[in-house]
Formats: sequence, structure tokens, C-alpha cells
Amino acid sequence: MDRRTAGLVLACLCIGQPSLPAQDFKIFDRDVQVHGFASQGFVYTDTNNWLTMNSNQGSGAFTDFGLNASSSLTDKLRVGAQVYDRNLGKLGQYHPSLDWAMVDYRFKSWLGFRGGKVKTTLGLFTDTQDLDFLRVFALLPQSVYPTDLRDSTIAHLGGDIYGSVPLRRGLGGIAYTAFVGHRSDSIYSGYPYFLSQFGIHIRSFGGLQYGADLRWNTPLKGLLIGVSRLNEDITAKGSGVSPFNPQAGIGPYFESSKADWANQFYGEYTHGRLRIDSEYRRYWRAQEVFNNTSGNFTDVRGWYVSGTYRVCKWLQFGSYYSRYTVTNTTSGLLAAISTPATDTNLPANHDYDKVITGRVNLNRFWNLKIEGHFMNGYGSAPYPNGFYTQENPQGFQPNTNALVVKTGFNF
Amino acid sequence: MKYRKILPVLVAGSMIFGATHSLAGDVKMIANASVNVDIISPVDLRAVFLEEKSSIDGSHVGPVLEKDGPVHEAFLQEYLARSDDDLQEYYRALVFTGRGSMPKILGSDAEVVAYVARTRGAIGYVSNATGTEGVKTLAIGVVNNNVERRLLTRIEPGYPDTLKDLRIGGTVRLRLSISAKGNVEQVELLGGNPILGESAASAVKKWVYAAGRSRTIAEVSLRFGDN
Repeated sequence: MDRRTAGLVLACLCIGQPSLPAQDFKIFDRDVQVHGFASQGFVYTDTNNWLTMNSNQGSGAFTDFGLNASSSLTDKLRVGAQVYDRNLGKLGQYHPSLDWAMVDYRFKSWLGFRGGKVKTTLGLFTDTQDLDFLRVFALLPQSVYPTDLRDSTIAHLGGDIYGSVPLRRGLGGIAYTAFVGHRSDSIYSGYPYFLSQFGIHIRSFGGLQYGADLRWNTPLKGLLIGVSRLNEDITAKGSGVSPFNPQAGIGPYFESSKADWANQFYGEYTHGRLRIDSEYRRYWRAQEVFNNTSGNFTDVRGWYVSGTYRVCKWLQFGSYYSRYTVTNTTSGLLAAISTPATDTNLPANHDYDKVITGRVNLNRFWNLKIEGHFMNGYGSAPYPNGFYTQENPQGFQPNTNALVVKTGFNF
Repeated sequence: MKYRKILPVLVAGSMIFGATHSLAGDVKMIANASVNVDIISPVDLRAVFLEEKSSIDGSHVGPVLEKDGPVHEAFLQEYLARSDDDLQEYYRALVFTGRGSMPKILGSDAEVVAYVARTRGAIGYVSNATGTEGVKTLAIGVVNNNVERRLLTRIEPGYPDTLKDLRIGGTVRLRLSISAKGNVEQVELLGGNPILGESAASAVKKWVYAAGRSRTIAEVSLRFGDN
């Protein structure tokens, strides 16, 4: 952790701790709430470098923080915004972003509208994946929630229609969200960084994103099940050297979606101090790449099962098994120079991760986590999933063990 | 002494009927005078405290919680089915995704009563022993067919002197059959001391609800001995 990061985290802790509960004030006779969070992690791996960090030597380049303000203007109308910033190895690089900024009008409990930059509802944790303090684990299962690719699903500039409806005859309740908007990834996110290994430098990356989420609080106490769907039409623009004609030097680069969708199925069961979560996500992407000279077809499948147990108010344990596979084929000019990746038994095309975690709540606002990852496979190509060639120029080892220590606070 | 003769019967009755509803009996709901209902269903109560619902019968409502303590724990277990830690996580998820705000959290029954009394739309919970001057008490009831019937006339039940002197109280749960015109046609005792139940039933039979499309069934809880 560099001195700037350490100073920032220390300042946040010092400033935040004594006055944590008292962050409400009034503007024009309206209550305004201000909340914030920060986390700092340390990662050590025994073989491959992970998450764009030099983790093999131990890395503290794992920092994020956010600050929001919100207020209810009327009984049904709320406004608010949050700024978010992070540094994860080579990603983020402390370039702050407007995480969400929206107007929320709830007509009825069964019908509301959110407009602006809105967090995307996709599965159990997409919208809360940055909020480390909400869960036991230091890292969510990377098969479904790859932290290096958070930008791809985190928010959209557009609107949501949402609501919840109790069902008759004791059948529980249904909550729904439908959304449409424009996704815009930071150029400091995982996919542009992945492309940079091929000499491609992305200037803009994003496009239309729409979908829906439906979740059912079942009559069985503590059981929630749901399904999400996401469709996208994404375009990337930048510059690079064509692999088909390198003598031409640097020229414009362009890629776009032909089909791009994700389906996610999930369930959560809580019973007393025990919580069990499970999700399955399939992501399919067909693109035209290298200025419409080639086709690229990627099929990503991930699932996990996790369990956490609260021993007492200040101590929790958790474990999960996360399974990620990827296949990729190409067409056009690219097919002549690339090898299809179709065998998910190869470590290059999968990542199986066994995880165990302990979380200690030092007080109501401050926690410390220690987590062990035991990974088989590195799923490095041809779609990013934590392991990048740039940080592993000597090649990949099939197995990686990782120790993650993370502390965070919120108010 | 006549008390000695009836005491075992009363105590036995209280134990039999009171045991399964002891949690609900520890807590009573209070609301600001602006809240235009006298009865709230457990479904609505849950929706209000999970910030899924911000109005009932056209009245703005907002939750008020206690920081900790047995009343807080009893309320969470009985009506939200969540631990305090889970509920705090839930609120934080709302706050940090822009989907809700942190509700008012206060340190004692007295603070809750004072805040609810002066805050439009506030709904909170306090111990049954707490005085509720300046706020209205909400009955918690289930209305069938998802049809809410507004209570127009409410008669408070008498507290039999014999039981009052012996400090025998508790919660009585009744199921009401309400006609389309709004009269209470039938009352069935679901739980609680049978003598208190009789007193409660005779009062409830005089209640008048707003007219509806058809006959509906409601469940209400009434507390004796809250002071």
C-alpha cells in the first residue's frame, strides 16, 4: 500500500469513527443523509499473479471507497448520488466515477421508477458487489462476480421500473425490476486492460443494456429464488496494430456485439445464523472484431455454492466453491491465426476455486477478513477472469493459492 | 377470599392461551396521529419496515426502530423474521445502492414515543408497559382477501376489576367477520385469557368498519394491562 493510500484510509478511519452515527443534516428543511465506506486489502499468491496485482510478492494495491448523499424531497420522491473510486492492481487507478445518481419515484409499493445512473439488478449481488461490509467474504465468487470486470454490469444510464407484490393464499411475495439504459465502462477496467496485451488501446467501451429481474420470496421462511436476464449491444473503439497486417502500423480499432446476453438463476436460504447462497450465470457473446474482419464467440459459464455462519455478533465464518469455464471460437481472418479454446478441462479454460473465510467485526462499523483461495486453473484466455498475461509473462501455473486480508469500514 | 378460588383458573387460562403469543404481547405498535389507519396487517408492517411501502390508505408512513433491547429483538423476530445484524445489512444495501435511506434508530421507548408523536407518518414499536401519550396505538391484524377495511368506530374493551387487581393481563387475539356494510357480525377468540377475551369480544362487536364489496375476515390483537 503506498503512502497516499495508507494516509487516505487512516484519515477515513480517524475521521469516521468518533462521529459515525451522526451524519444527517438538513438543507432547506429536508433531511439529508451522508454515508460512506472504504476498504483496503492485501493479496499474496504462491504462483500466478492475480487480479492485475504483483500478488506473488504480496500486494496492497486493493483499495476502494465511496461516499453518497441522499434525501427524500417528498413522501414518494427521493434523490441521491454516490461517488466511487478504486485501485485494483492496474485497474481503476484512482480515477473516480459517478457510481449512481438518480431520482426515485415510488407511485405504489408495486410500481416505482428510478431514472439517472442506476445500479443494475442482476442476480443476488451485482448491485452490491462493491459493498464489502455487507458480506462475510473478501471476494465474491469470481465465477459469477469477477471483480476485474465489475464495470460490465455495475450500472446503466437510463431507468428502472420496479415493485413488489404480495401473493394471495400465503404464497409469499414477488419483486420485479425491469431496466434499460446505456452501459459505459471505464477504460481502466478489466476488458480494455485485457485487450492491451494485443496492442489494442480502447478509448470508449459501452452500449445499450436492458433486462429484467424477478425474485420470489417463497412461503418457506427464509427461502428466496430468482432469475435475471441481461441483453447488450456493445461497441468498443480505439486504436491498435492489425495482426493481419502489422506493417501498416497503428490504425483505428473497432469491435461490436452481434449477440450479447446473460442469464442468471439464483437462490438464497437463511435460517437463524446460517445463510446459503447459490447462483448460476451463463454469459454468451458473439462479436465482430478487428474492424469487422473477424468473428469472436465466447461462452462463459459460472456457478457457486456458498455458506456462512454467524458464530456471534462479532465473528462469522464462510466458505464457497466457485466453478468457472470459458470456451472461445473465431471466424474470418482471426480463425487463421488463433486456436479454438473448447476443452474446459484445460486449466487455461477453467478456474475452480475453493474458499474459506473468517470475518471479525471490530465494532459496528469496522471489520477485518482473512480469506484463503485454493484455485485450480487460471481461465486466462480468451476472456479475462482474474489472471492476465501482462502480469504473468513467464506463463501460468495450473494451481494458485491465495491469501487475502481485507479491512473495511462504513458509516 | 374469592380471589383464591378463581386465581388458579385465571393463571391456568393465561398460561395456556398466552404462551404461543408471548412475543407479540411484549410489543405494541404506535403511530403519529397523521397515520390514517387503526389497524395494520403484518404484511403491511413488514413492507413498511423494509421500506417497500411508504403509504397506507393514503397516509405517508415511515419506520422508526429501537437500537437494541428485548422489545427490538421481539419485534424483529415476530414481524420481520430477521436478526438485527441482517436488518442492518439490508438497510445498508438500500442506502449504498440509492434505493432507500437509513431509518430513524432511537435508544429507548421514551425516545420512540416522543419522536413518533412529533413526526408525520412515523410508525414505531414500544414495550406494552410504555405510556403512549400523544401517539395512536395500532392494532395488528390480518385482513383476508387482500381487502383492507378502514375502522370507523372503535370501542375500547373494559378491563375486569378482578383481573386488574390481580395484575393479570396479556394479549387477546380475535378473528372478526365483518359484513359488507361494516358491522362486526361474528367474533372468535383465537388466543389469550378467556375472561379478557369475553370483554374484548363484547367491545369489538360494537366496532364499525367502512363499507366494502363483500364480507371480510380480520384478525386483531388487543392488549390488557399495558400500564
